[in-house]
Amino acid sequence: MILLIVQIVILCFLAACIVLWAFYFPYPSPLVRAWLPPRKRWPEAQVRDWLRSGRFQRAFLRHFYSDPERTPPPGDALVAPADGLVLSADERGGVRYLVIALSFWDMHVQRSPLAGKVVSVEAQGDTFMDYEGFEFAFLKEKVCPVQKRLVLATGAGQLAVRLITSLAARRIETWVAEGERVERGQRIGRILLGSTVVLELPATARLLVHKGERVWAGETPVAEGLVPT
Amino acid sequence: MNGFLWESGHLGWGIFALAVFTGLWWLLADLVWRFKKVQFAWLMAGLAAGWVIGAGLIVLAFWLGKL
Repeated sequence: MILLIVQIVILCFLAACIVLWAFYFPYPSPLVRAWLPPRKRWPEAQVRDWLRSGRFQRAFLRHFYSDPERTPPPGDALVAPADGLVLSADERGGVRYLVIALSFWDMHVQRSPLAGKVVSVEAQGDTFMDYEGFEFAFLKEKVCPVQKRLVLATGAGQLAVRLITSLAARRIETWVAEGERVERGQRIGRILLGSTVVLELPATARLLVHKGERVWAGETPVAEGLVPT
Repeated sequence: MNGFLWESGHLGWGIFALAVFTGLWWLLADLVWRFKKVQFAWLMAGLAAGWVIGAGLIVLAFWLGKL
């Protein structure tokens, strides 16, 4: 009799797993969701549905707002200001624009590429949707409604980090003010949901990353060879 | 069925193993589908082939155990 009960319990558990699987399909069952990497846990179509409805799953928001500690590598190379994929690294007018595209699953806190002093924090607001947005960020076919540009004076010259949201979010937090000193890898702000980050650096800098590479904010060296001023 | 379906007060180990294996195999296939970029037809073929082999081994083990 005990054996029969044990067998029935095991079969019921298995049946419950399959019912949950069928109920949530194509999204993963809650039994395995936590064990899957974020991209497998919340398919992009699901996140876009939440964006449309404005109702987000709490576990997703917890993941989205996560802010893990990062340790900058030794040396004086510039570290990536954001997590994401390198979209382009074009040079125009003596400035190289390293464009990093963040996805829904990337950590959305931005970090300073070098130690220095914040020269300015320029905001470009809700109405900023003209062609200029495409031009300076080289974001082909991407609208950039809200941007913040942090200019940093470093020992190797002036740099700028441009935080850009997508149409979906339109919110950027900056955590540093003009005149404030920042350390290499220090948190400087956060883009909510959307997002692209552009690092503007002198064209003379030697890039250490290429288009399509994955970078991590505050950890991945992205350029070196800046001449100290 | 000679103890395959039912055996003195509990489910036969043969059918029990077959049911557990089938359920786990199905859930495992779902994980493979999520982690690997695999064509659906290939996945189904692999799933079916694996199930036939697994079920065959269970039946074989059951009958060998009865000998």
